[in-house]
Amino acid sequence: MKIDYRKREIKSIDLLPLINVVFLLILFVLIAGRPTTDHPKAVQVAASAQETDYSAGRLAVNLHADNSFSVKSRDGLTIGEVKAAIEETGLADSGAMVTLIADRDATAEALLDFRKAMAQMGIGEIRLKTKYEAPVSGGGR
Amino acid sequence: MIQAARAARWLDKMQLERPNRKPAFMGLTPLIDMIFLLLLFFLLGSDFIRFTQSQLAPPRGTGGDDGMSQVVIIALAANGNVQWNGATLTHDGLSRKAGDAVARDAEQLFVVMPEGKAAVQTIVSLLDQLQSAGAKQVTLEQDIFDIDLSDF
Repeated sequence: MKIDYRKREIKSIDLLPLINVVFLLILFVLIAGRPTTDHPKAVQVAASAQETDYSAGRLAVNLHADNSFSVKSRDGLTIGEVKAAIEETGLADSGAMVTLIADRDATAEALLDFRKAMAQMGIGEIRLKTKYEAPVSGGGR
Repeated sequence: MIQAARAARWLDKMQLERPNRKPAFMGLTPLIDMIFLLLLFFLLGSDFIRFTQSQLAPPRGTGGDDGMSQVVIIALAANGNVQWNGATLTHDGLSRKAGDAVARDAEQLFVVMPEGKAAVQTIVSLLDQLQSAGAKQVTLEQDIFDIDLSDF
């Protein structure tokens, strides 16, 4: 039995399709994605069917699912500590808009405490950050 | 003659022997590395969620119109049930009544008073429903006495 031991020529893999696909992926990410905002990863915001584009206020306060607040990487704050943190920023009585990034599982109790505290401090407007979810057509409550 | 022979030899020497070089293969690995790095950068640096916003409290001191309609108070229970000025309503009924109220007065003020244990998602869904019915003036309050009408 004669075995052919001739060296087979190794053909190089054509890399052009790979490069094309990766470029297409980059294009997709560039078009479909938006630069990451200051959104905290631990907060799952509520879904809303309103298409009002989000614009961040001068200060963002996070409300977590356990009803604790966080402001500027300071976690586990009570509403009193949030008020102190906002006073430090000098936003009180300026009529500025504050964004509340609230977890969808947080309760109205914390939301209302925040609302009341901001009204007492003279904060002009509170906007709640939500994520867009198109309404399901044909469905009802 | 001799000079001609010399010249011929000199010309022969000048013909440099050049081996047939294969065209050099351009290395694609650094290019692919860079493209993958770009891809990773954009993937990690992008959000694919479209964020929106709802108004919890309007800008202060934007209203105070003397001719404004009577305030509508909507109580929201933790389980999502709603009451319109104390009367229980279905969500369809709420949309209809809110639409009627806005048709009568475009600046109709709605005060949403959620129960303490109501989840944020339940409140947002109600705010959505009111905004879909055309409501522009919606505020969230804990107590009826907290309402500052000069804000509307």
